[in-house]
Amino acid sequence: MLSRAASSLFWMARYLERAESQARLLDVSLTMALIDVPEDRVEQLSVPLLVSGTREIFFEYHEEITPQNLIDFLLLDDRHPASVYNIIQNARDNALHVRGNLSADVWESINQAWLELKELQKKGVTESNASSVFDWVRERSHMFRGAAYGTLLRNDAFHFLRLGTFIERADTTARVLDIRHVMAVRAMEEHATQSFFEWTAVLHSLAAFEAYQNTYGHNLEPMNVAELLILEADVPRSLHGCLKEIASLLEQIESGNAKRSRRLASSLYANIHYGDRDYIAERGLNEYLVDFLDRIQGIAGQIQKDYMGWKQ
Amino acid sequence: MLIQTPGEGLYDELFDQDNRVRPHYKMLEEWLVNADEGLIAEKRREADVLFQRLGITFNVYGEDQGADRLIPFDLIPRVISASDWQKLQAGLRQRVQALNRFLFDIYHGFDIVRAGVISAEQVFANPQYQPGMQDLKLPRNLYSHIAGIDLIRHNDGDFYVLEDNLRCPSGVSYMLENRRMMMRLFPELFAHAPVAPIDHYPNLLGETLRAASLKPDPTVVVLTPGRFNSAYFEHAFLARQMGVELVEGADLFVHQNKVFMKTTVGPQQVDVIYRRIDDDFLDPLAGNPDSMLGVPGLYAAYRTGNVVLTNAMGTGVADDKSIYPYVPDMIRFYLDEEPILKNVPTWQCRKEKDLKYVLDHLSELVVKEAQGAGGYGMLIGPKASKKELSTFRSLLKARPQDYIAQPTLSLSTCPTFVDEGIAPRHLDLRPFVLSGKKIQMVPGGLTRVALKKGSLVVNSSQGGGTKDTWVMEDDLC
Repeated sequence: MLSRAASSLFWMARYLERAESQARLLDVSLTMALIDVPEDRVEQLSVPLLVSGTREIFFEYHEEITPQNLIDFLLLDDRHPASVYNIIQNARDNALHVRGNLSADVWESINQAWLELKELQKKGVTESNASSVFDWVRERSHMFRGAAYGTLLRNDAFHFLRLGTFIERADTTARVLDIRHVMAVRAMEEHATQSFFEWTAVLHSLAAFEAYQNTYGHNLEPMNVAELLILEADVPRSLHGCLKEIASLLEQIESGNAKRSRRLASSLYANIHYGDRDYIAERGLNEYLVDFLDRIQGIAGQIQKDYMGWKQ
Repeated sequence: MLIQTPGEGLYDELFDQDNRVRPHYKMLEEWLVNADEGLIAEKRREADVLFQRLGITFNVYGEDQGADRLIPFDLIPRVISASDWQKLQAGLRQRVQALNRFLFDIYHGFDIVRAGVISAEQVFANPQYQPGMQDLKLPRNLYSHIAGIDLIRHNDGDFYVLEDNLRCPSGVSYMLENRRMMMRLFPELFAHAPVAPIDHYPNLLGETLRAASLKPDPTVVVLTPGRFNSAYFEHAFLARQMGVELVEGADLFVHQNKVFMKTTVGPQQVDVIYRRIDDDFLDPLAGNPDSMLGVPGLYAAYRTGNVVLTNAMGTGVADDKSIYPYVPDMIRFYLDEEPILKNVPTWQCRKEKDLKYVLDHLSELVVKEAQGAGGYGMLIGPKASKKELSTFRSLLKARPQDYIAQPTLSLSTCPTFVDEGIAPRHLDLRPFVLSGKKIQMVPGGLTRVALKKGSLVVNSSQGGGTKDTWVMEDDLC
């Protein structure tokens, strides 16, 4: 397939995944800010800014981090690229680019999201209706995924699209886990009840609460949470799960001479596949995750180079 | 609902001169009269929402980029009787065949010029004439593989050709989507009316494009200027329907006079390019050097015969408004047949006698730029102000060769939903004619309708709308 089309499919899926994670993250952070003691509220509200790396840009537009400012900034503000508005617009732009490779159902699901988003932007979002907007973003993402699964031919177009989803997802999981884990550990040292909420926040941010209860029961243990989100292959947003998909997708893509992305992905996958919690604990979670982020970005860069960058 | 009857002296598609319903409209008329106003309003809203969601939109130059606008869609179809279509189809085949013969001729032996039918100046001094195409051998001697012929019905009841579009005629996606929309909104209508199907157009187009190459299984692509082009929707739509790649200039490159596309597994050779980019922008080395849309070296590859362009370079010379008056003569010259479809009488301002007539009767005539398109740069005499008339008078005197003039034709009308109810509005028709191993078309075309009362301008860029076009399968309905 066309390199440009592969790139657009990859990014289209990344953006849609990003919109979903951001909605989830915002939802959890706003809820946590209500539960948390007043002095820690700002810290809770900062999490989505830290994950998306937009804390500095935020202060170009707002003086302080309040729930409403955060909603304005990360949902509908079209002046910076990290808002859900611009993320979905980028997804739609990419979809428009590869419209010839998409089924009508997939294209319509994205185009419809964009049309509704423009209406939302006109109406505005406040603290009181923010939750329904988060639900809407998640539903839209589910719908896109459903349309893609239900109607696309399982060819390279589909594989590049799925690659985009899992690269973005792995990246998000590592970031969220890294930032929220630090907060949760600190809460444990301070007050016990608060720490329960912190751990559930990690799980809710990554849609893994039910998965945790299923696996470990009600007992919230920090290393269990890390183990679940890193090593459990069957958890949809775990690093293991994502890497398994990435490695397998790269094997399925018609490759020409592009061996490098496969090697990088398979080696990271093997690392996690054969990893255990003691190793992570020894190394320190933060260091482990920083290294992971580095490597996943390396893989993403290599995929772009191997398949999408074109030197004549 | 009440259907307004047409004005005096106009040909209406539904009512005859005694305000009786024409036989092929009976079924539709009954349905319209009994239609519930609330339901129709509901369906119109539904159609708008669907068109938005499907993204069947176009960009208007000068407006915000990405400001997707809907072309107004009218729910009342234009119906063509089976016998009218038989005649139209035969006339279109004949016309397109002659035009392709003409294009071959003016790039090879110039028989028509030597026979004195058309002056050498008019062919060779035409800015659309591509000297580089001379003596180039094209598969099957075909130049315009996809032609869009604009037709109107005059108040004498006959169809007239208004314009031949032989370069990159657009609008076929609207023809297809309009039908899809009607079938979705009013399935009950199709259950009773014998409407000829058109959905196989993409198959015929694919067949035509593959037949443009002599290779057994050629790789075909659709070349688009990109998503800010007003017809991008159509380019993507056709590529998807045919299952071929939609490419932009940057996706292609030329190596050793062969064209390749940049794919995830390396270069892949391209054999046929259905290009939706004008001649001048196709290759910055041969045409406009600032073009970012084209492919450097494409023209050389084309000349070598390693790739086929559809439509060919230099077809514009035959759809020029100054060549148009000669098409009936071409039919006689190349095919030795009498033209089936009429031409609109045309005065060529380059001729002294014609110019004088035009200047004397300016307020009765329509004046068009010979090179113009899209309804821009034209004068509609009977509707023009004194100031507009005097502006055109000086334009005509300064550059007579740039203009042609035609009588103000009264385009036929067809019932259309407008604010005041169901009222007659003027319309035209663009069927799409495909030339490959044989000449093929689907029954119908794109019907464009002027939504303003009395207006004759049907262009979408000037606020016109579209309708579904029904060709009846037999005359007995």
